[in-house]
Amino acid sequence: MRFDLSILWPHLPFLWKGAVLSAEVCLLAIIGSVVLGALVAIARTSSAKPLRWLALAYVDLFRNVPFLVQLFFFYYGLPELGIYIDAFTTGVIALSIAGGAFASDAIRSGILAIEPGIIEAAEVSGLSRRVIFTRIVLPIALRTAIRPLGAVLVNMILTSSILSAITLNELTGSGRIVASDTFRPFEVYAVLLVFYAALTYAVSIAVNLLHVRLNRGISQDVA
Amino acid sequence: MLKAENVRKVFGSTVVLDGVNLSVQPGEVVSILGSSGSGKSTLIRCINGLEKLDGGRITVDEFDVSKPRELAEARKRSGTVFQLFNLYPHMTALQNITLAPIQVLQQPKAEAERKARALLAQVGLGDRGDAYPAQLSGGQRQRVGICRALAMEPRYLLLDEVTSALDPEMTADVLGILADLARGGTTMVFVTHEIEFARQISNRIVFLDKGKLVVDLPTAAFFSAKGGMAVPRIAQFLSKMRKD
Amino acid sequence: MRYSSFTPYDIVLLLQGLGVSVGLFLATSLIGLLLGTVWAVIRYYRVPGLWQLMSFLAELLKNSPVLVQLFLVFFGFPAFFRVNMTPVEAATLTLSLNTAAFVYVIAVSAVESVGRDQIEAARVFGLSRWQVLRHVIGPQASAFAVGPLVALLVNQLQVTSLISVIGVVDLTKVGNILNLRTLKPFIVWTVVGLLYYAAAKLIAMLGTRLENRLRAHSAWKGL
Ligand SMILES: Nc1ncnc2c1ncn2[C@@H]1O[C@H](COP(=O)(O)OP(=O)(O)OP(=O)(O)O)[C@@H](O)[C@H]1O
Ligand SMILES: [Mg+2]
Repeated sequence: MRFDLSILWPHLPFLWKGAVLSAEVCLLAIIGSVVLGALVAIARTSSAKPLRWLALAYVDLFRNVPFLVQLFFFYYGLPELGIYIDAFTTGVIALSIAGGAFASDAIRSGILAIEPGIIEAAEVSGLSRRVIFTRIVLPIALRTAIRPLGAVLVNMILTSSILSAITLNELTGSGRIVASDTFRPFEVYAVLLVFYAALTYAVSIAVNLLHVRLNRGISQDVA
Repeated sequence: MLKAENVRKVFGSTVVLDGVNLSVQPGEVVSILGSSGSGKSTLIRCINGLEKLDGGRITVDEFDVSKPRELAEARKRSGTVFQLFNLYPHMTALQNITLAPIQVLQQPKAEAERKARALLAQVGLGDRGDAYPAQLSGGQRQRVGICRALAMEPRYLLLDEVTSALDPEMTADVLGILADLARGGTTMVFVTHEIEFARQISNRIVFLDKGKLVVDLPTAAFFSAKGGMAVPRIAQFLSKMRKD
Repeated sequence: MRYSSFTPYDIVLLLQGLGVSVGLFLATSLIGLLLGTVWAVIRYYRVPGLWQLMSFLAELLKNSPVLVQLFLVFFGFPAFFRVNMTPVEAATLTLSLNTAAFVYVIAVSAVESVGRDQIEAARVFGLSRWQVLRHVIGPQASAFAVGPLVALLVNQLQVTSLISVIGVVDLTKVGNILNLRTLKPFIVWTVVGLLYYAAAKLIAMLGTRLENRLRAHSAWKGL
């Protein structure tokens, strides 16, 4: 059989729609992950033992259970609680929770890497704990955590393909439809594979640039 | 008045401050001398509430730093300049200076920035307000650190070896600014190894030795043969410092 | 299908599913470890043309969704190459290659962790490239690689859950079956999740033990 990409041409708009949906899911979920990750990181550095324990249990659990199982848990489980949400929202929630477990690690190391003297300077100037956290600790931690958070995003883009299992027609889900319409699964999935690889490559480059930009002020070399 | 009464501080089994008494009147410049490890930094850190006391009492204008409710008020009245500057690395010089006035003193942003620019101009950094700490030299960073402390309009300025991370030229810059402040009537508690400078600007000098405050004398008396120099530890310390 | 509640036989079903998951995990991990190591050796000898191809393939596999890889092999290969492919065969092939790609990347950085000067010194003493690999690089690189490899294996166990999507009756598929039959998603997915969790913890524990033993071994040799 000949490897013929031209048969995909008419289906590109449809695949593009799927890619846009993937991008939307990932964008919302990375925001959710960072917010959740920051909250969990606070809990893990807090002085209250039950809170620390709870946060650690969350991270441990969601990192050691397959995402597909987590996804089914929410997709089939939430309606049983009377919560009816669509596949898109379920996907964003599940990805945020799974990603949050990884993001919290990145943010936590960012917090622990802050010079104690910087926080002491903030304390003696009379700033409240809340202001110290939101204006000093978190911004510095997020800047130093940009690279590991970028890795979380890359992982999330790859993981979002699994949302096709709950009938969400993101890029991979759209690919399945095109594959069965055209009877050319090899071409379709080969193109998807290369596309995902190229996309994650581009994302890691962008993350590196962002890291350099955001940490201009933080790096110690004198300009 | 800033007052330390019978202050005691232990780390594990070492007694770092042992019955220290010190009082500083508004307008005074008091230098704290002592060899390395004698507890100078610890005393400063007790005054601004970064270390908990194991005994005794420290009050800043009657506000007890050991009482959580009074600590905030005590901290408003003192400002600290650090040896390693400890600037907020993600904020510009101007933002470093205005953060606390806006958040703690509730100054309007425009007013805080106007005051911050005036302070920066005063220390010769009028045009560097938008620079990040990493874009400034060590001496410039420390000058921003001084502005940050001054922006809170503290009654007492605490300085812990603020020039020891700087090279001689930058040290001279920063000391010049401190001398101006002293002449302008800013109250200072000044930990330093710059003996000559301490002699020029201080009203009083106290000497810490192994956690004990052994001498508390007016500057002239401290350096006189019958005063501080009569104490063997001090004579030894001063001659060693002068040699270095 | 009419729904009905749990039966004692469901436990057998779950254990069978777990057996399939663990069995495929072990088989593909073993193949992946061997294959990835062979790739790394090919790179070490700089076999012209081949090693660049290996690197490219590894990057592609590492940076694309496993689900798309599975679809490419299970749907694409039979259509394009006119071969027959059972779900288990497709799963074995895909997961082995995927694991190999990650093993390759870990092995390459482990070899690079051994200093150039050490390798050159050994060559000066007249050791052949193979002897250098066996006696100088091998022991140090494997001590370096155990940690990342254990993390990889814990992750690959979770990745096996994706083969349920192409119809392999693994633990996740059993979960699907029970979910549909009993309509008790919370119980089903919690049990399935905990089984995966326990398996992941077991792998991590064995891995840490192995790591400690290897560390102790190389430390003792160093004296
Ligand atoms: N957090 C701490 N934990 C344990 N010991 C400490 C701690 N901070 C200070 N010390 C000890 O307390 C003693 C006094 O330290 P301090 O930093 O106050 O000395 P110093 O007079 O400022 O010395 P230097 O001139 O070197 O700055 C030292 O023996 C030091 O090792
Ligand atoms: Mg000190």
